[in-house]
Amino acid sequence: MLEASNVSYAHRKFSILENINVSVHHGELLVIVGPNGAGKSTLLSLLSNEMDKHKDPIFFKKKTFKEWDNKELAYSKAKFSQSNSHDIPLSVKDVVMMGRYPYFSSIPHKTDEEAAQKAMAETDVVHLTNREYNSLSGGEKQRVHLARVLAQLDNDIVQKLVFLDEPLNNLDVLHQHRILHTIKNFTKRGNTAVMVLHDLNLAAQFADRVMLLKKGKIVAHDVPDKVFTREIISSVYNFPCTICPNPVNQNPLIIFGT
Amino acid sequence: MQNKLPLYLIVSLLLLVTLAVVSLYMGVYVFEKHSFYEIFTGLINHDGSIDPADEFVLMQLRLPRIVMAILIGSALSVSGTCLQGMFRNPLATPDLIGITAGASLFAAVTIVLGSYIRPYIPEFLQYSLLSIMAFVGSLITMVMVYRISTQNGRTNVVMMLLTGVAITAMGFAVMGLLIYFSKDDQLRDLTFWNLGSLAGATWTKNTILATVVAVSYYFLINKGKALNAMMLGEKDAQHLGIPVERIKKQIVILTALLVGTTVAFAGTIGFVGLIVPYILRLVFKSNYHIILPLSAVFGSMLLLLADTISRTIAPPSEIPIGVLTAFMGSPIFIIILIRNRNTM
Repeated sequence: MLEASNVSYAHRKFSILENINVSVHHGELLVIVGPNGAGKSTLLSLLSNEMDKHKDPIFFKKKTFKEWDNKELAYSKAKFSQSNSHDIPLSVKDVVMMGRYPYFSSIPHKTDEEAAQKAMAETDVVHLTNREYNSLSGGEKQRVHLARVLAQLDNDIVQKLVFLDEPLNNLDVLHQHRILHTIKNFTKRGNTAVMVLHDLNLAAQFADRVMLLKKGKIVAHDVPDKVFTREIISSVYNFPCTICPNPVNQNPLIIFGT
Repeated sequence: MQNKLPLYLIVSLLLLVTLAVVSLYMGVYVFEKHSFYEIFTGLINHDGSIDPADEFVLMQLRLPRIVMAILIGSALSVSGTCLQGMFRNPLATPDLIGITAGASLFAAVTIVLGSYIRPYIPEFLQYSLLSIMAFVGSLITMVMVYRISTQNGRTNVVMMLLTGVAITAMGFAVMGLLIYFSKDDQLRDLTFWNLGSLAGATWTKNTILATVVAVSYYFLINKGKALNAMMLGEKDAQHLGIPVERIKKQIVILTALLVGTTVAFAGTIGFVGLIVPYILRLVFKSNYHIILPLSAVFGSMLLLLADTISRTIAPPSEIPIGVLTAFMGSPIFIIILIRNRNTM
């Protein structure tokens, strides 16, 4: 589905990523974790075709991004960015509708309206439909953009790919879980998600595979059970921790500071 | 709201036509025949029912002037809206960021130097040369302003406006020098730049203008969605399948072309690109999908109205049109500044 080999990136001779090999399959939810400055966002940025400074091409569905048509790519791949614009003088509905821009030329079709509605229901922003985007709180803005990303990928194409850069920042517990369930359902339908998260326990609960980065290098890339071990986590985060099975679902449960 | 765009367009176009007809009858010279229908059929049939003086005033003075007001108002307002979308700021207008100054600088140099070859080349070519030079001037300034004020897709508004101030200052200096050295007839032409006027309207100029407007609008007028998406940030717009770099290049080249041509033919008429989008934003927020096409029509209306006032308010003389637009525009400039005080 998505394959990249030897990804390296340096900013002014300061190496941010070194020789990362990634291969993500369809139906997989890959969560990238790591301490601050590990290069998580940069990796996501590179994988999602935001920069073209790297040497070896990245293959998405066996084609390099250059070989894709702009619009076709927008039907199959979307990204939720961490630094969302705070000043968009439009209504919430207009912002969500942007996700449907690849689908209509001037006036939205009925399917576009429906897709936007559905996505807004999914991230619980329907009651904000006619509100001014600029008047929302940080978490609400975040959910509006998530709805926009979901609306963009609402089509019949199989094996779509979504990138999410810390989608849970500013969200309360209910919405964190709600969003993760939405993403999980998305991947269960044969699609792929690559997500940067800070909360290791949520990563352990939802991820199919976890990639742990430190200082631009992969420390571990495997199923949650193998990545979240006491030795690996306490050395990477440089902080003591205990890991025990979660009494409810048997996922690894990470307790820091013990 | 998006679905009603065709309705808004039709209503505003009807308003524009009404305004144009009213403007045709306004002025010092009064036509013999008073009904629009009579004049119209008389002109078509050419049966001599129209007085030659009437026909001259109508066909060679008023109509070309009205057409020019419509074309220039529209062009200035659309280039303002496009630039505001690209720079993501309501203060990015051709005159405030120095593009008009760059264009008139090149046009002024062309007028002074071109006066030596003027007798030897046909009129159409003269005007084309003038507008091409003005285009080159505005393109150079535009690229300069963009390079200086924008880094990684983010525009520093203060830098953008100050670059405009610097370029305008340069324009004044060169203009002063040219005025100092120029002969009488060149001097008259040069003064006309600084004030801005539609009095020099001819069908030749209108033909060139109409071509430029048609070509530019073919590429620009449907970019509303792209400009909306660019509010998300350039990278996010790219994820929506929008070729951001290509659109920015188109906007830079085509607005330079629009501004250059209008400056070449009517001098510096300021603030149109600021007033029209501002008013439209009050109603439609920043939805470029709606305000971009509407600004094309409302710009025409604004300039036509201003020009009609400028030639009728103090007969038989004319108030320079740039004075009128500045009267309307500068308070709006101040309002926008106050509103954006915290984000500057």
